[in-house]
Amino acid sequence: MQTQTLDAFQVIADPSRRQMLMMLSKDSMTINALAENFDMSRPAVSKHIKILYNAGFISITVIGRERHCVLKKDGFNELQDFINYFDKFWTKKLQKLQDILNNKLKK
Amino acid sequence: MQKEIKQTWHFNQLPQEVWEYLTKPELIEQWLMKTNFKPVKGYQFQFTFTAKPEAKYHGVVECEVLEIVPFSKLSYSWNGSTQDRSRKYNSIVTWTLVAKDNGTELQLSHDGFEVLEDILNHSNGWNSCLTKMEKLIKEL
Repeated sequence: MQTQTLDAFQVIADPSRRQMLMMLSKDSMTINALAENFDMSRPAVSKHIKILYNAGFISITVIGRERHCVLKKDGFNELQDFINYFDKFWTKKLQKLQDILNNKLKK
Repeated sequence: MQKEIKQTWHFNQLPQEVWEYLTKPELIEQWLMKTNFKPVKGYQFQFTFTAKPEAKYHGVVECEVLEIVPFSKLSYSWNGSTQDRSRKYNSIVTWTLVAKDNGTELQLSHDGFEVLEDILNHSNGWNSCLTKMEKLIKEL
């Protein structure tokens, strides 16, 4: 099955996929068990799983005849980068504000 | 996993003076970005900057004033996108000013990352699982 690769933001923009990640954050689950919780066709569930897998949010392990989904760190890292970026952004800007105000006092 | 940004800065000026740097476009521009901000609740404005070609985020941030309490609190939405416009994010910036030691304590909080929040909350649980696993592996 052809599945496009989405980035972390696009991946979690979808409510069903967010729901899947939340369920998996409690425990690993088989694809079958996961599918039971969603009112959608099995191929639709598989497609979401594939997207989560491609973006590095989950890994899939085959045990016997079952495929188990487990959360994986890679997908979350991109989101963390985003927060880090803005933390640095504000530090830089506020440092500038402080410099301006300090210089004003000297005058 | 961190899901919000909180910073506290101290300035030697009184809140009234620091407030001007948060609310007057010509002063905001000096340290932050160009803007057409107006201190009016519900007012929609933008921050703009010339992004370098390799920059990660697009040079326009769409905002709306959410709350304004003169000299003490200012909050606006902060909605932007990545440079290639493929990823959009919504968030909220809140400034709180507190008079302290003849100056001002300025608190910044940047949070409410809409799409992110649920996931980041849950990834905490996930992280602790990973830490536990790490520990178990070391004990082997």
